[in-house]
Amino acid sequence: MAAYFIRRVFGAVLLLLIVSAVTFAIFFLVPRLAGQTMDQLAAQYVGKDANPDSVAAVKKNLGLDQPLYIQYWDFIRQIVVGADYQFGPETTRCDAPCFGYSFRRHVEVWPQIVARVPITFSLAIGAAVIWLVSGVATGVVSALKRGSFLDRFFMSVALAGVSLPIFFTGMLALTTLTVQWPIWSDGINYVPFTENPGEWAWNLLVPWCSLAFLYSALYARLTRAGMLETMGEDFIRTARAKGLKESQVIGKHGLRAALTPIVTIFGMDFGLLLGGAVITETVFSFDGMGKYAIKSVQDNDLPIVMGVTLTAAFFIVFCNLLVDLVYAAIDPRVRYS
Amino acid sequence: MKTRKATLLVATTVVLALGASACGGSDNGKGGKGGSGTKDAALTSIVNKSDKKGGTVSFEFSDEPDSLDPGNTYYGWVQNFARLYGRTLTSFKPAAGKEGLKVVPDLAESLGKPSADAKTWTYTLKKGLKFEDGTPITSKDVKYAVERSNFAPEALSNGPTYFKAHLIGGDKYQGPYKDKNPAGIASIETPDDHTIVFKLKNAFADFDYLATFSQTAPVPRKADKGAEYVKKMVSSGPYKFASYEEGKAATLVRNPQWDPKTDPIRPALPDKITIRFGVKQETVDNNLIADNITVDGAGTGVAPATQPKVLTDAKLQKQTDNPYAGATSYIGLNVNVAPFNNIECRKAVQWGIDKASVAAAQGGAPKGDPATTLIPPSVAGYTKFDLYPTEGHKGDVAKAKEHLKKCGQPNGFSTNLSARSDRPAEMAMATAVQASLKKIGITAEIKSFPAGKYFQNFAGNPSYVHANKLGMIMTAWGADWPTGFGFLDQIVNGSAIKPSGGNNVQELNDPKVNKLLNEGIATTDTAAREKVWGEVDKAVIEGATAVPLVYRKNLLLRPQSATNVTITEAYLGMYDYLLMGSAK
Amino acid sequence: MTAPIETTGSAAEAQPEAVLTGAKQSQIEGRSLGQIAWARFKRDKLAVAGGVVVLLLVLLAVLAKPIQWVFGLDPNAFNQDLIDPALLAPKGAWGGMSWDHPLGVDPQFGRDILARIIEGSWVSLLVAGGATVLSVVIGVVMGIVAGFYGGWVDTVISRMMDTFLAFPLLLFAISLSATLQDGAFGLSGLPLRISVLIFVIGFFSWPYMGRIVRAQTMSLRNREFVEAARSLGARGPFILFRELLPNLVAPILVYATLLIPTNILFEAGLSYLGVGIAPPQASWGGMLTTAVDTYQADPQYMFVPGLAIFITVLAFNLLGDGLRDALDPRSK
Repeated sequence: MAAYFIRRVFGAVLLLLIVSAVTFAIFFLVPRLAGQTMDQLAAQYVGKDANPDSVAAVKKNLGLDQPLYIQYWDFIRQIVVGADYQFGPETTRCDAPCFGYSFRRHVEVWPQIVARVPITFSLAIGAAVIWLVSGVATGVVSALKRGSFLDRFFMSVALAGVSLPIFFTGMLALTTLTVQWPIWSDGINYVPFTENPGEWAWNLLVPWCSLAFLYSALYARLTRAGMLETMGEDFIRTARAKGLKESQVIGKHGLRAALTPIVTIFGMDFGLLLGGAVITETVFSFDGMGKYAIKSVQDNDLPIVMGVTLTAAFFIVFCNLLVDLVYAAIDPRVRYS
Repeated sequence: MKTRKATLLVATTVVLALGASACGGSDNGKGGKGGSGTKDAALTSIVNKSDKKGGTVSFEFSDEPDSLDPGNTYYGWVQNFARLYGRTLTSFKPAAGKEGLKVVPDLAESLGKPSADAKTWTYTLKKGLKFEDGTPITSKDVKYAVERSNFAPEALSNGPTYFKAHLIGGDKYQGPYKDKNPAGIASIETPDDHTIVFKLKNAFADFDYLATFSQTAPVPRKADKGAEYVKKMVSSGPYKFASYEEGKAATLVRNPQWDPKTDPIRPALPDKITIRFGVKQETVDNNLIADNITVDGAGTGVAPATQPKVLTDAKLQKQTDNPYAGATSYIGLNVNVAPFNNIECRKAVQWGIDKASVAAAQGGAPKGDPATTLIPPSVAGYTKFDLYPTEGHKGDVAKAKEHLKKCGQPNGFSTNLSARSDRPAEMAMATAVQASLKKIGITAEIKSFPAGKYFQNFAGNPSYVHANKLGMIMTAWGADWPTGFGFLDQIVNGSAIKPSGGNNVQELNDPKVNKLLNEGIATTDTAAREKVWGEVDKAVIEGATAVPLVYRKNLLLRPQSATNVTITEAYLGMYDYLLMGSAK
Repeated sequence: MTAPIETTGSAAEAQPEAVLTGAKQSQIEGRSLGQIAWARFKRDKLAVAGGVVVLLLVLLAVLAKPIQWVFGLDPNAFNQDLIDPALLAPKGAWGGMSWDHPLGVDPQFGRDILARIIEGSWVSLLVAGGATVLSVVIGVVMGIVAGFYGGWVDTVISRMMDTFLAFPLLLFAISLSATLQDGAFGLSGLPLRISVLIFVIGFFSWPYMGRIVRAQTMSLRNREFVEAARSLGARGPFILFRELLPNLVAPILVYATLLIPTNILFEAGLSYLGVGIAPPQASWGGMLTTAVDTYQADPQYMFVPGLAIFITVLAFNLLGDGLRDALDPRSK
């Protein structure tokens, strides 16, 4: 188990390195391939009143005058050991993990990300709870009552659910509930949990449900398909033949086997959401990581986009790793496959 | 013009209303109780006039400021706001209407004393000025503030660099962080603690306006931490920071070291000022309507989604003001991209564009009126003229075709029209321009670029413009200080053509225009100077290189509890934050 | 489906188990796989309906320009006389619906919504279709090679697919399309935007296809008919393309059909976020962005592009589900 653990963690770190290299390439290599010079790149971070001096200063500060591999190395190094910046009379220390410094907003990147993590997490976790419960439950019921009215109803709703874009459903919910029938008459605004848990949940309810609707639909379809397939497998027949009660057959054998792939997928989906529910946050104007990323992309605030992207990748890799390790702990065969 | 008449009408109504209410002894007395006022009342008068101290003025802002550091900001509203904690050499008179454009002394005893050639400007500081820690404010603190804000792009890159551009040796000096010599730049002299002398390369009669910039707000050298200074700023005004949370919020309280006797322009009504950042615009608007906050800091008006709600409600409508925002949207026709090297083709576009449709597209009357000049009506030096008059600003297809014929393009031509992709109003205007040009046979393909790189890499970068044939460039300009020179110099002077990041997108280098500008700025007589700006404006439009589209306006909403509310034309038509008080 | 992001389906249906080949059945009965599947598909009314709608949509997209010309529809023509100058919303009820403008006109400009929906259809389908083709091509090649050769080739490709799946796809897509704003690689304007979108969506979603094809290839590799071919002296490439590929057509077809709606949602999402198709070119996602700002004055507006997306995606999903059921009886 220990060897497996180490191997997987090592693999995850390697994966993160690759993701960071690709992210880096998108911002530094692709514009070059498309014909931009480093001066032009630097000029984007200068502010409204750019002149050759300030461009040169930013170019030096961002390290844009260095070869690409050195820039990348510096970027990785400062995450691990931190960095020092010279932005005034004194040296500013950026402690590890240091994701750099935004020249547009004159702030360190990491604290900005940390400040937005609670918003994104609140959104993702709440929605995940709702969609797991409702999605899996409808899926199981549909599979067991296959062909019934309930099954057909659930599956129709689920089909509609996966066919509706979240920005449409979200907007519909938002306008209906804040304007048409103003139940949330002051609009929907994020309130930190630590400030007022009641308000927090109340304001998150609509975004949770909008996001969960999409995923519930997906998970219902998946669970149903998985259940139907599993219930036709030999070991279920064996279990029945052994004389087990139907509830035990379903509960102990069927559900467990059917849910295994769902958990893997959940690890992926959930990890992605933790990195920023870009569209949902945009629809509801929640200043989480996703919306921050979009805004920073529009402002060309490269260090921030890099930081958010890497954080997002970290969550995806971490969640996948977690799922894999949990499996390995439960089922020894996984370790050798 | 129609709007003029309308303004006059409104003004008259307001005066009558004020008179009536004064007789009735209602809200508009000195009690500071608040009230609705009438539509556009704050354009010409002070609404809910008050001198009652106390209460809290609360600001909300939908974005984050570039920085609240007076030495590191370019945002108009921060310039306005920073006056609460940073006194500058001069400032704008907090008054209603055109009076608000007047420059008055602030830290200085009087306006700057120019030498005869307008190259040397001397200011004498008042006595008894103190920072919040009680140390006296000296001319050296002002000098230091100018140095750090203009010469240290490695730390403070947001603000404008006019001082750098005009001071002798400005191109050489490395700034206080790199050049550790405490003597600083030689062309700012501080012979004693109360005198500061600026020595300029060229004549610059608008220097008193530069002295209003928040960059002249004194900063004690020992408290300066470069980009980090914003977290612990030392106040010289009536308020000081009690708390500051980066990107989130700040609270200001009274600064006991501020002496009202030295400061006739700041009534300093509230006891406390709070500001919250990153509140979404619809929420800010709702809070204004519900009277939960005093003012929307950005001063750019309500969200498009709120606009209909405000305009259809008779009661809310009374609380709105619709001032000019001090900015003009226009199209630059690049003289180095064919066929716009031919004045006749440029004139064809001047006649052809349906400005009424453009104005409607960008948000209709609440967001702007069709423009015929570059300088907007709220800027000193505005002269009214219309060289291409058409009925209802709808354009004249016949005249346009006539000029196309003269240009040798009777069937029209194809060109490119650039606009900023993340500015919906600008994209909408470009779309409208495209549609109206189609009627005269000109096919304009819209090229959109992100605002963050627009001038650096695309529209303000001549090599890109030439290579990609960007004949028509959508842009908008608001003056950094509200005079014709402040407005025009950066957009029509030949010297403003830069290899990248320039704002003279037409690449106009007309000796006549350059000469007028350079002579004008050397004229110390204000009236004569302001007359020149109108002439420059006219010369540019005669050359047809710029097509003014819209004078931008904002639809502001003042909550009932806001007192002492007036629009300041000096700060892009937002409310004057120095005057403002709250009944709450 | 691909791209487990909010815009789209989940990683879920990319699991090899989800789509199964019908190869087994083809040997048992006398009828060909195609005949059986077609017979089964015809019985599925909903799938047929989905297929018909898809067919109509494709026709609409291909013929968008001629249709606009015949009916005199101009997606960019202004009708500002139909707009209330204060509210910027269309005059009259139901978003300005009339004989001239059956779906009404859009706020601010008064452009005909029907014309813009038609105009948006070809952009949407072109991007989604192009991206699907791209990811299918890469995915099939990679999947077959990995599954057939096994060993270190398989290890390398599988790791590569794992890595791709760990990318924050939407963030990458947003960054890339923002980096390549206008003028790159000799392209500019709309052609560049469309190419970038096809590339971004297609290039990052091939691993889902790759995984399925790999698993299928592995299960087919050691089948008798491959063994037979090999014993007759057939070489790798011949076996790959003459023996394996035909047997993979069914899952590839099913999966590609299910990938299209995902990609439609992806494109619409990017355009909604302002990094996809740039205005004034009509796009469904872009129309929804405008609707956000105008919903107070013109609440009807959002329904038209919203429903256009919904119907299109639903039709493709119905068709894809139907195809899967028809080609793989076990899943029904």
